[in-house]
Amino acid sequence: MLASLEWLKQYVDINIPVAELVDRITRAGLEVETVKDLGAGVSGVLTGKVMEIYRHPDSDHLWVCMMDYGQGIVQILTGAQNVKQYDMVPVATVGATLPPSGHNPDGLKLKKAKMRGLDSFGMLCSADELGIDSKLLLPEERNGIFILPPDTPIGVDVKKILGLDDIVIDIDLTSNRADCFSMIGLAREIAAITGCPMRMPELEVKEAAGGDIRELAAIRIEAEDLCPRFAARMLKNIKIGPSPDWMKKRLRACGMRPISNVVDVTNYVMLELGQPMHAYDYDKVEDHTLVVRRGGKGEKLVTLDEKERVLDDSMIVIADGKRAVGLGGVMGGLDTEVTSATRNVLLEAASFNGPSIRRTSRALGLRSEASGRFERGVDTILTHNALNRAAHLLEEMGACETVSGIVESYPKEVKPAVINTTAQVISGRIGMDIPVGEMVRILRGLQFQVEENNGNLKIVAPSWRNDVTEAADISEEVARIHGLDYIESHYPALGMAQGRQSETDDVKDLVQDYLAGAGLDEVMTYSFINENTFDKVAVPAEDGRRKVIPLINPITDDFKVMRTMLFPSLLSIANYNLARQAERVAIFETGRVYLPQELPLENFPAEPMRIALVLSGRNRDLSWCCKCGCVDFFDVKGLAEGLLEHLGVEGYTFIRSEEVYLHPGKSCDVVLNGEKIGSFGQLHPSVSGAYDLQEESFVLEMELAPLVQFATRIPKYSHMPKFPGMQRDISVVVPAGVTDAELETVIRKHGGELLKDVVVFDLFTSDKIGADKKSLAFKLYYQAEDRTLTDGEVDASMKQILAKVAEEYEGKLRE
Amino acid sequence: MREELEALRKQAVELLDAAADLDGLRELKIKYLGKKGPMTEILRGMGKLSAEERPRIGQIVNDIKSELTGIIEKKTEELEAKALEYKLAHEKVDITLPGRQPAHGHLHPITLTLREIKKIFMRMGFDVKEGPEIENDYFNFEALNLPKDHPARDMQDTFYITNEYLLRTQTSPIQARTMQSLEPNTPIRMIAPGTVYRCDYDATHSPMFHQVEGLVVDKNISLADLKGTLELFLKEIFGSSVKVRLRPSYFPFTEPSVEVDISCVICGGKGCRVCKNSGWLEILGSGMVHPNVLRMSGYDPDLMTGFAFGMGVERIAMLKYGIDDLRLFFENDLRFVHQFR
Repeated sequence: MLASLEWLKQYVDINIPVAELVDRITRAGLEVETVKDLGAGVSGVLTGKVMEIYRHPDSDHLWVCMMDYGQGIVQILTGAQNVKQYDMVPVATVGATLPPSGHNPDGLKLKKAKMRGLDSFGMLCSADELGIDSKLLLPEERNGIFILPPDTPIGVDVKKILGLDDIVIDIDLTSNRADCFSMIGLAREIAAITGCPMRMPELEVKEAAGGDIRELAAIRIEAEDLCPRFAARMLKNIKIGPSPDWMKKRLRACGMRPISNVVDVTNYVMLELGQPMHAYDYDKVEDHTLVVRRGGKGEKLVTLDEKERVLDDSMIVIADGKRAVGLGGVMGGLDTEVTSATRNVLLEAASFNGPSIRRTSRALGLRSEASGRFERGVDTILTHNALNRAAHLLEEMGACETVSGIVESYPKEVKPAVINTTAQVISGRIGMDIPVGEMVRILRGLQFQVEENNGNLKIVAPSWRNDVTEAADISEEVARIHGLDYIESHYPALGMAQGRQSETDDVKDLVQDYLAGAGLDEVMTYSFINENTFDKVAVPAEDGRRKVIPLINPITDDFKVMRTMLFPSLLSIANYNLARQAERVAIFETGRVYLPQELPLENFPAEPMRIALVLSGRNRDLSWCCKCGCVDFFDVKGLAEGLLEHLGVEGYTFIRSEEVYLHPGKSCDVVLNGEKIGSFGQLHPSVSGAYDLQEESFVLEMELAPLVQFATRIPKYSHMPKFPGMQRDISVVVPAGVTDAELETVIRKHGGELLKDVVVFDLFTSDKIGADKKSLAFKLYYQAEDRTLTDGEVDASMKQILAKVAEEYEGKLRE
Repeated sequence: MREELEALRKQAVELLDAAADLDGLRELKIKYLGKKGPMTEILRGMGKLSAEERPRIGQIVNDIKSELTGIIEKKTEELEAKALEYKLAHEKVDITLPGRQPAHGHLHPITLTLREIKKIFMRMGFDVKEGPEIENDYFNFEALNLPKDHPARDMQDTFYITNEYLLRTQTSPIQARTMQSLEPNTPIRMIAPGTVYRCDYDATHSPMFHQVEGLVVDKNISLADLKGTLELFLKEIFGSSVKVRLRPSYFPFTEPSVEVDISCVICGGKGCRVCKNSGWLEILGSGMVHPNVLRMSGYDPDLMTGFAFGMGVERIAMLKYGIDDLRLFFENDLRFVHQFR
């Protein structure tokens, strides 16, 4: 909220520099976002009267003005077309400065100028050139030179005249402090913080029109739950006109556009006291009756902004004898609007239910200064003060005569909270011994009523502090005014404990460290995806993975549904980087997918953590000394094996995968404990194509939970053999369809107990051994625990192996 | 015979001295000391000598042999050293060529920051808890003292899935989940890191980001404990010279509520663009757990008090690494990721 310092000073003395004030209120919980000197950059601009004006002899758009700004008559040229003789205008004299604005983006320092042969000793200014936001001006004030009221004195600093000698602070008000959403509220807070006394505005009403409002108007509340209090005053003999300058200046400083006296006064009182108000044209209110009720289904109302609104029964409607005339607390109706023809006014001040106002203003997209205040809550005590203040101000301007009395309905009086607590509880919560006298002083400063007896406190909160209901709230008041800086740090007196993360987090860390150690970069992608992702990765229409959780209010189409697969997000990242000349993309992510049990959601969905990786491009960074190729299937397989081994997962198998997004000949499913826990392999060309990746791109996606379950985190040591072992190489030629795994199985099975390990180290194909044949070479590791092996023992094993390879796979020893 | 031997010795010594490489030396060794060499020849003729002469000549032969052996050994050493020197002198590589580094990847800066935060709190005895990202209204709002239509719900633009389910806007629901999973009034010391979502997408807002929640509940926990604990944490993560200040604020689930500011880590508190010339940076929100929050989760607020805090991981990472654009975290440009370790 914006607050004018000039305005605040009417209610409280501010004897400290602005910077100190800003710091102190910020530290007491009213965070000042910005401090704006309205006249920053404006100097040397004086009020001046156009004594004479004529066209420039050599120009069809320039005017020559003879100006009086108290220093004799000075010639100034202007290109503006709205200046007349005897107008009062702002004059930037030679040497004056102007702030950056639409006309002068870098600001301006005035110099004597020559235009088409004539000297100009200064410049007449528009509002924009003086740094005034055009939104805060009447339409006729926006264009051309800013014409000042005719009774403006000559030769006065224009900053004073236009309210540019004010400082406006913008406070980011927290939503609990509805009470500070007004000048009086802020002044009260400043008074409590600085200890300066405060003054209340004049509320006295003359009621010169006499009569009795009860005979002229009636009000009724039919929806008590939505409207705790409704009150009205009647104003007669209205003279609609502009507001006085002092009021316009204050309204503009607080970001509101002056319109006309009646409207301005309702806005002014809202800014001053915090009570939103509304003015009805009395003569247009049917039966001179205002009723507060719920909207009817489909009921219609044209609001002040000339839009037709469709109402419903959650909305607060103000109706007259016949129809809706306003949306309570949100916006008035057009039919009963105060216009220049208005003679009599019914002035409303009410309290409305915050949540209802919030819903209505959201549903209709109508947010205003008034609705913002009602949402936070308006003190019910304020209705009378606001009506009286508004009537007082309009009477003072000579704009009306007030009818005697107020009509109101206030079915259930709102009682302030009474809190019983002790100084010890308050000190305990703050963690600092604050003397009870100091607590009482602070609370009374904030206008709480306090009875203190031996450390026991009975506290009554002021009506505007409906956020204060229990001892915890009192501790906040005491702490923030006493000063949080005075609290001495302390450590909680807790027993010794070992903080732990879950085993899942441990394993996730291991996975991340392994993959990063293996040369992959970690990425972090959004959990929501575009539904067309499933088309891009060729997931069939009936596939369960298309059962996605949709968002009601996504930000963009790309963030529409929660992902059920992780790797597609990484494919987009691979594409992004390859498009930026990355030669090698090796990336991984550990992230959740979101799997609904049913749709629409009735239960919490599963959110399993997955590991996904993508390899594309070179298999290593470019180097002068290493041969650098492209990634292939065995790179991704090696990572899968390496990861499982790093985690000590045993008993997994790889089988040929049928995943639609993978190349059928170069892909595997990972099976653990009889369950498929993931897949990896080369992307299907249609998928790599859809993401503009090289055809030879590889992915892996695997569940984390089974790895957590089957990981063996602490390896078991087995002792090293004491006797030397023996190694033999064997190279066999077999039909091309025989797999390495089949051969290794036969070798291990028939190699005898001395055969400890088999490693395949060569694959060879050639016409020489036959086009339908291949040769595989193995290194066999023999070892006995209790003796040095003899050639004879190993020879016997080799012979047996060869016999079985020949028998089962027509294998022959390669010559 | 003596003359013959002397001539032989002289010739051998000369030749050995002149030997230029190890191969030549080996040949000379074989020539003079080998079985077929002149020395053997001479010894073979010893039978003709007298019995007195024989041992003397024998002695001379042995002396020559051992002299030559000595020379050969010395010469071998010399030549070996020379050969090594030559070899080394000719094995120079261009040491300015880059080395062959094993492949190494990079963890994401958010992971690195999260790990550091977790580590600091685990050392202080905090457990790490988790909760679902798809939350219900009750845990995300109501159990945190944010009933329906509470204006503070506007502080968080929520992604809704149904009327009941939503993407959590904060990690705070894990406070209620943790308390409700325990026997009432069990002391708690936990943090809860996680991904959170808000319906906001521009230069300074990401629809997805990360938070770490913290909760301490026990008897006699106070605002001073909150200050001490968070000061300890912030000094660990930003360095011991950092200054910490509390500023009153408002969160529906804490009372009193405080924003925690640190002295600007960019300018050291003198005032700069990052801290908007205030010298202070808002770093986390915290406060004493609201009695209603304790009550709703079965804790007795007259017996137990606690403090809670929540921090944005991206914000901490940005300040720590000097990253100036939030969007970089989710763009995943590898030139960005490669800068962290």
